[in-house]
Amino acid sequence: MSRFFATGSDSESEESSSADEITPKKRIVCCPLRFRFEELTNIIKTIRNAMKIRDMSKCLEEFEQLYRAFLKSKTIVDKEGVPQFYIRLLADLEDYLNQLWEDKEGKKKMNKNNAKALSTLRQKIRKYNKDFETEISSYKEVLNCSPNESESEGDEESEDWGSDSVDSGGESEDNEGEAASLAVVFLKKYVFFNLEHKKMEQVDEEADEEGEGEEGGWEKVKGGVPLVKEKPKMFAKGTEINNAVVIKKLNEILQARGKKGTDRSAQIELLHALAGISNENNLGEGILVKIKFNIIASLYDYNTNLAAFMKAEMWKKCLECIDELLDILFENSNMFIGENIAEDSENLAISDQPFRVRGCILTLVERMDEEFTKIMQNTDPHSQEYVDNLKDEGRVCGIIDRLLQYLESKGSTEEVCRVYLRRIMHTYYKFDYKAHRRSLGLQGETKSEQDQEESEGEDSAIIMDRLCKFIYAKDRTDRIRTCAILCHIYHHALHSRWYQARDLMLMSHLQDNIQHADPPVQILYNRTMVQLGICAFRRGMIKDAHNALLDIQSSGRAKELLGQGLLMRNMQERNAEQEKIEKRRQVPFHMHINLELLECVYLVSAMLLEIPYMAAHEFDARRRMISKQFHHQLRVGERQPLLGPPESMREHVVAASKAMKMGDWKTCHSFIINEKMNSKVWDLFPEAQRVREMLVRKIQEESLRTYLFTYSSVYDSISMETLSEMFELELPTVHSIISKMIINEELMASLDQPTQTVVMHRTEPTSLQNMTLQLAEKLGGLVENNERVFDLKQGVYGGYFNRGTRTRPRNLIKDHFQIKINCIINVVFS
Amino acid sequence: MLTVFFDLWSDKKRSKISSVKTFSSSCVFVRLQVVLKIIKHYQEEGQGSEVVQGVLLGLVVEDRLEITNCFPFPQHTEDDVDFDEVQYQMEMMRSLRHVNIDHLHVGWYQSTYYGSFVSRALLDSQFSYQHAIEESVVLIYDPIKTAQGSLCLKAYRLTPKLMEICKEKDFSPEGLKKACIGYEHMFEEVPIVIKNSHLINVLLLDLQEKSTVADKHELLNLSSSNHLEKSLQLLMDRMDDMSQDIGKYNTYCRNLSKQQQQKQQYLQRRQQENAQRQSRGEPPLPEEDISKMFKPPQAPARMDTLLIAGQINNYCQNIKEFTSQNLGKLFMAEALQGHSS
Repeated sequence: MSRFFATGSDSESEESSSADEITPKKRIVCCPLRFRFEELTNIIKTIRNAMKIRDMSKCLEEFEQLYRAFLKSKTIVDKEGVPQFYIRLLADLEDYLNQLWEDKEGKKKMNKNNAKALSTLRQKIRKYNKDFETEISSYKEVLNCSPNESESEGDEESEDWGSDSVDSGGESEDNEGEAASLAVVFLKKYVFFNLEHKKMEQVDEEADEEGEGEEGGWEKVKGGVPLVKEKPKMFAKGTEINNAVVIKKLNEILQARGKKGTDRSAQIELLHALAGISNENNLGEGILVKIKFNIIASLYDYNTNLAAFMKAEMWKKCLECIDELLDILFENSNMFIGENIAEDSENLAISDQPFRVRGCILTLVERMDEEFTKIMQNTDPHSQEYVDNLKDEGRVCGIIDRLLQYLESKGSTEEVCRVYLRRIMHTYYKFDYKAHRRSLGLQGETKSEQDQEESEGEDSAIIMDRLCKFIYAKDRTDRIRTCAILCHIYHHALHSRWYQARDLMLMSHLQDNIQHADPPVQILYNRTMVQLGICAFRRGMIKDAHNALLDIQSSGRAKELLGQGLLMRNMQERNAEQEKIEKRRQVPFHMHINLELLECVYLVSAMLLEIPYMAAHEFDARRRMISKQFHHQLRVGERQPLLGPPESMREHVVAASKAMKMGDWKTCHSFIINEKMNSKVWDLFPEAQRVREMLVRKIQEESLRTYLFTYSSVYDSISMETLSEMFELELPTVHSIISKMIINEELMASLDQPTQTVVMHRTEPTSLQNMTLQLAEKLGGLVENNERVFDLKQGVYGGYFNRGTRTRPRNLIKDHFQIKINCIINVVFS
Repeated sequence: MLTVFFDLWSDKKRSKISSVKTFSSSCVFVRLQVVLKIIKHYQEEGQGSEVVQGVLLGLVVEDRLEITNCFPFPQHTEDDVDFDEVQYQMEMMRSLRHVNIDHLHVGWYQSTYYGSFVSRALLDSQFSYQHAIEESVVLIYDPIKTAQGSLCLKAYRLTPKLMEICKEKDFSPEGLKKACIGYEHMFEEVPIVIKNSHLINVLLLDLQEKSTVADKHELLNLSSSNHLEKSLQLLMDRMDDMSQDIGKYNTYCRNLSKQQQQKQQYLQRRQQENAQRQSRGEPPLPEEDISKMFKPPQAPARMDTLLIAGQINNYCQNIKEFTSQNLGKLFMAEALQGHSS
């Protein structure tokens, strides 16, 4: 039994593989005839199988299907005549049925279903065969004439139905093989392939005359069979290698592309060999370019899975190829390439006319760039491998640069826009240290370095500006422009050009409609916003920084929003498919924005805003939080049973906030700026020292404000000089801060000019009084609510209070309450 | 001077207690031992707003309830789920019976935080107590006030009206309206008399003689804002709840009246149509189940509001009491200052 199965499956797989190899070719021909007949042969195969195991019901079923399929292909049959194999089946089936019918004993053994099916099938086929009487009889004649030739019959027929020949041949062999043992089958197959191999060699010899299709077919078989490993010869010796031959060969190779059995690496090698041959024979650049295009394309094809990334060697090869391709393109200015050039209008031969080659170098380079991103995504960012891979970025940029030059002279504006965007994408996130140093007035340390700097051309800012402006002016697809704007803003923000960045962001109105963009653009937008916020922070615009970062930080999913990692979530929210998509969107590690830096910037700016605000509104019932995230951190800090010295960045900020709450700026300062925080956060800024100075200043100012808010009730008056000493601020600054507070009515005080003191007015209520006021307010609300209930009960017009003027009694009650409350307050504090 | 004040106060207290004695026929006699045990229980286990509870034991003599002993409920955490409180109580009472202590269950006690005890839980448990044992009371012990110098222990019982409502479990607005119950009539305070043997009385008097002034001057603490602030805070929280409840009730009322209106309109239209049909000689439209078509909205339970109101009332009383006392103290301090200067 098991052996039976084994052979069965074996023959099946063989069949399927042979079918696989043949069918795609038929598709290329794209002939309905082949398609239909294939359908028919498939059904016939199953019928024959069913016949073998005497499964009559299956036979009947399939026969009906066959009948239907045959009707479908009626038009073709009308044109071409009834196919031979169809007739053969009908004849065989009838004979077989008759034979079964005669066999009374066998019929008795059959189960009921099968017997029934047998009788119906017999009747049907009798009726049906009448239509084909002449054909069947002629077939039987042929059969009788050469009864011994049943084996080779398939080959005979192959003249009529070429592609079918292999099928039926293989099938008939298998039919016999099934009876034999497994070993025999194997042997047979071996023989079969050897045979083919020999055939192939023959064919090779006459390669030039042979049609491309057949040879291609043989080649494929060779690829799929491990028995034949020798290096394939491209052309037979002595053939004159010219353009047409090479193109033919190229087409052959290409036809195998994308098929199941094709060995992709072998294909690449073949193409390389072809390129070598064409080079040797000086066939001209046209053909070479064509081959190169195809090599790169098949390199990309190597991985069928979209998620998988290129192997290192493949990648190297790819880069080389593109480089060479660009070399050729630069050398030959009379070459036209483009997607819009049709295959037939290609001009590959050396002639007076310029070369015309189909293919789009831009697409290839874009694909290469994507592959690069994929490689970076899939490499462990903390390994040496990542660094090595990252070194290729220079080459990628170089290629893009060269392409840019090429397209600037040759390409359409659209293409130029696309390649510009690629260039921008490789520039926007890099900090231009050279320009930075130059702006600081520092020269390179040695003379040679200086020279190098000078020779290396323009600043990235100027490049960005030029490229982006071109895109703004010329681009017609919204997406490229949006990306360009975002990158431009990012680049500005990265180099602390806050006003330009902000203006660009506001002018573009991206905030209004970014939610309609696709996820990668949204990620870019988030990155830009974050960079903008960090830029504002560096420039000391705390409020702007906070606003820019609020959205990203408050969601708690900054990591995900910036495309820097997936959050752990259960599978219900995201299935595997989605996860794959999300993984593909990730930004490579070298482009990451440091999340800790981001959070720290956010928390520190929240602290600088929130602590004075909290101090000013300590007793306000309707106090709103500026930053929920910050409050959350504070609460986490409070919940700690034991407070050790701060370790993490968050703990530092929380500790600093606590110090600031007390107006203790020195402690606050030491918590925010110390070695730990320096190494964790502040040193990541290019202008770390300036940022730290700004931060100290802000801390001093805000601490002063907090101090005044918190302790003003304790003072009758306070000298500004003391304050300036306490907070180590200059007197004018203190003066301006206090004046501002007084003007904003945050601080009830006045300045006494001659003595340089702040005189407190002591009008702020104490906490208990505050509370009582709140209570009074609440009571008012309660009374109002209560009255509404009452009104409802009485009806709108019949209300108790409506008899007089509507508002008076209500006010009376309110007044009454107010008086009572005031009494309480007065009594308690008399 | 200070001692005079203390004496004044204690005289006042004494007179209050004596007036109570004559006032009610059904009052609660509490042994000093019980009081001390409750205080001790709180001091050992209660903290801040945490509440301690226990069982009161005693007996009913004529028309008064005598509480002669008590024991605490053990504090149990969430971890030991299989702890059986009833079992524990029964065991405890049996053991007490063995040593010849009154083992009749006559109520329970509970500590309170700034006078906040009027809650659903208290209502429910007191109801079940009173349902089983008619005389049972709940003793409310306020440790904060006690710490300020005046023992605060109060006995409460549910009024018969409230008992009836609880029995019927009808907390809808109509039900409460019918029962004519307000927050004032939910609990009745039962006067407490702390009874001791003469021996103990003698000891107490002796101790009073010996005690120095320093032991008592917590009474004269002038700082008040902390206590007041806390009370106000709690009061405000309750006020918020109240506001919310009223709001809920308000929307309910509005919905109800709106529906009534719709119902009226519908009926009217129906009537008109029927009249028309009659004039045309057609049979009237079939009756439909109106109550099905207009389902009245779910009425909010009013019991919570009532309890909140009771609690607010309680807070107010507390604050009033506290402020009036403080005022007195402040005046006195002023006078003292004037006198000494």
